[in-house]
Amino acid sequence: MTALITRARPKSGLSKRLLNGRASASLISLAVAGVLWEIVGQAAKVPFFPPLTAVLVELWSMITRGEIFGNLATSLANLVLGFGLSLIVGIVVGTAMGRYRRVNAALGIYVYALLTAPSLVFAPIFFSILGAGQGSIVAVIFMYSAFIMIINTASAVENVNPSLVEMGRSYGANEWQILTRIILPAAAPMIFAGVRLGMGRAVTGMINGEMFIAVVGLGRMVTVAGKSFDGAAVLAILIVIITVALAAIALVQFVDRRITSWVPNTTKES
Amino acid sequence: MTQRTAVLNTQTHTTPLPMPQRNPQRPAWIRALDSNLTYQIGTFALFALAWQLYGTYWGGLLVPTFTETVIAFVELLGTGEFWEAMFISNQALFIGFALSIIIGVPVGVLLGRFRTMERYSDVYLNILLVTPMAAIIPLLIMSVGFGLLSRVILVTIFAIVMVIVNVRAGVRQVDPTLIQMARSFGASEREIWFRVLIPGALPSIMTGLRLGLGRAVTGMVIVELLMVSLALGGLILEFRGMFNGPGLYATIVAILIEALLLISLAHWLERKAAPWAPNNQKGRGSR
Amino acid sequence: MIEITGLGKTFTGQDGSAVRALDNVNLSVQDNEFLTVLGPSGCGKTTMLKMIAGLMPWDEGEISIAGNPVRGPGPDRSMVFQNFALLPWSTVLENVAFGLRLRGVSKSEREDRARELISMVGLTGFETKRPGELSGGMQQRVGLARALAVEPKVLLMDEPFGAVDEQTRRLLQEELLSIWERTKVTVVFITHSMEEAVLLGDRVVLMSARPGQISEIVPVPLERPRSSDVGGLERSKEYVEITAYLWERLREMHDEHRAKNPAALNGAGR
Ligand SMILES: Nc1ncnc2c1ncn2[C@@H]1O[C@H](COP(=O)(O)OP(=O)(O)OP(=O)(O)O)[C@@H](O)[C@H]1O
Ligand SMILES: [Mg+2]
Repeated sequence: MTALITRARPKSGLSKRLLNGRASASLISLAVAGVLWEIVGQAAKVPFFPPLTAVLVELWSMITRGEIFGNLATSLANLVLGFGLSLIVGIVVGTAMGRYRRVNAALGIYVYALLTAPSLVFAPIFFSILGAGQGSIVAVIFMYSAFIMIINTASAVENVNPSLVEMGRSYGANEWQILTRIILPAAAPMIFAGVRLGMGRAVTGMINGEMFIAVVGLGRMVTVAGKSFDGAAVLAILIVIITVALAAIALVQFVDRRITSWVPNTTKES
Repeated sequence: MTQRTAVLNTQTHTTPLPMPQRNPQRPAWIRALDSNLTYQIGTFALFALAWQLYGTYWGGLLVPTFTETVIAFVELLGTGEFWEAMFISNQALFIGFALSIIIGVPVGVLLGRFRTMERYSDVYLNILLVTPMAAIIPLLIMSVGFGLLSRVILVTIFAIVMVIVNVRAGVRQVDPTLIQMARSFGASEREIWFRVLIPGALPSIMTGLRLGLGRAVTGMVIVELLMVSLALGGLILEFRGMFNGPGLYATIVAILIEALLLISLAHWLERKAAPWAPNNQKGRGSR
Repeated sequence: MIEITGLGKTFTGQDGSAVRALDNVNLSVQDNEFLTVLGPSGCGKTTMLKMIAGLMPWDEGEISIAGNPVRGPGPDRSMVFQNFALLPWSTVLENVAFGLRLRGVSKSEREDRARELISMVGLTGFETKRPGELSGGMQQRVGLARALAVEPKVLLMDEPFGAVDEQTRRLLQEELLSIWERTKVTVVFITHSMEEAVLLGDRVVLMSARPGQISEIVPVPLERPRSSDVGGLERSKEYVEITAYLWERLREMHDEHRAKNPAALNGAGR
């Protein structure tokens, strides 16, 4: 019931907001930058800063030549595997760390250390163990995205209002029920904040991993284009990459909104 | 954080009232064994053991054992080549990080103070936050070449977004009545910046610097590994080319240790700099 | 003397709707007067006070202090805020000296002056504490000392005791009375409490909402000094009569507002 009340927004208000709010400011400033890019690019005539139109033409010809979709599909497959693995590990390990002191004591500092360490230095290690294949790329994606999700889940679980847990126990819930019926739902909004960050990092891991182990995917395309000094191609692929990143994060937000619809809007928008 | 979990645990694993007081009754040596340090050491020991076994029985040409790595690490520290690589890497790191502070803090304050500027810049910060920066390395090299400059620029780009975003958030959450209060005493815009906004945002600024430093180290490693194979990253690739597994692993360990030391230092400074911030009083940083 | 003539202000909300916050407000405050302002929530009390403070522009009318029109904040006025507005990173001493510092008073001089005021509000011994280590009542004492430190002619107070508990509020009221009796600054004091308005004020300004207007000015014929026997005062016949009268008037305003605007019944007043 609360959800209905807090989420309902007058339709006219929404469209108005789109017209004169944040979204229009973003569109205006994107358009201005696009025009500037074109002008500066045309004037400069340097290979590393081609005008926007040249980049779009290059992008279009890459698409029609079928270069983009094959590589995009491979990259996305890597992303799904790597991110999926991190998500499972993130939630399971994070919940255990948030709930059980001993698990937290055993793993906490290492998870923090791995979160702050530059993740790409692990790429040579995976290369040495798993070889120059997709396994290594998936492992790099995991290193990029798992730890932020573990940490966020752990602190979300730890910060669940203890009186909710007590309430559950007073009704005779066992540990499993408390975890699945009370703690995880209550912690969901904050867990999702971590999942969103994790997704952003996973996309970065995907590109960096593919650039390091340059056998497949969008990352390899960037490397190849860079080696042949083709600035327009690099920027065209960069546009694809940014689109993938924004879309992936939008997907997480969509799922988040579905699952945590009970959270009042006001606390989320801050 | 541990205290809180500990309280929850006693409640979970024991029968209801009266609340049993288990801990004080247990012998001292068991309590000592149950300490956090024991678990931390235990985890490390398990990890080292698993590594040792894997390295001994399954590891191929490039996977050394734990002990081989430790020995190689000690040897590495004795070579001039390593310290030269450290110097070259850190040169780019420190110049780039300093630049990101010098530019990032004022920009962040500006964006946090003035709503319209923030509204028009928001898209770009969001895009920059999610864009894998490594993909622009080819453009950098095409424009400024393989020298120190391109590495410095990349480190700056990596770090500056974190600095700007955190400073902006910090300034934005400064209580607006503090600004009004200062104005009511006749403060100028400059005085508002230096007496209210920057001190008020200091905890977030320090957090931004810590996270930015992490990204700067990442940028340093990435540029060396992906494009300009020199310094520490170059050393890694060289060891890999020579199939010198222990050397390869030892270099990675060295980079990890440097990163963790730098970031711990930043974390310590973060707490020192703003002792009034609630986050720093509970002895717990954010993120 | 504060002279307000024909003051008017219309706010435009983010959705484009207009709120008439003040409409043709005329008021003059005598030197050394203690004026209290009472009115329903949203009637424009804070708006008016901020305009006197020079913190907010207005649409129509004029405000002058001792014959000089108000064009911005000035050294003749200082403000005490409801939520204290103390700098959390500064000590009590630094907070009290803040206004003096902005005015370029030398360090030793401003610290001497600050110590004097700290002792006046009864906080001696707390000079080096930070606001986070003080109770709400103590924090507002700091706010009061800071405002008095610059020796203003006019003290503007916006529900200064609204955020402290009942007992502390009583103590602060008595202290404010005794400080005012000694310093004789002009005070404009906003409150939600009829008792407080009568106890402190020479006159009570009653405001009504939508549009914000002055509906009546009620003189308080209680004798001064009042700080010595607040309890006796509260049992006096005049005190009881005036508070009862104010409540009656406020109640009428509520009823009128409700009749005009049925939505206000369930609190969704906008
Ligand atoms: N910055 C603003 N933008 C738009 N509307 C505003 C703004 N400030 C105040 N208002 C509106 O002006 C009216 C008067 O506000 P004001 O804060 O002066 O009321 P108040 O009498 O101080 O109320 P309270 O007793 O709750 O403090 C309210 O309806 C409020 O919604
Ligand atoms: Mg108000």
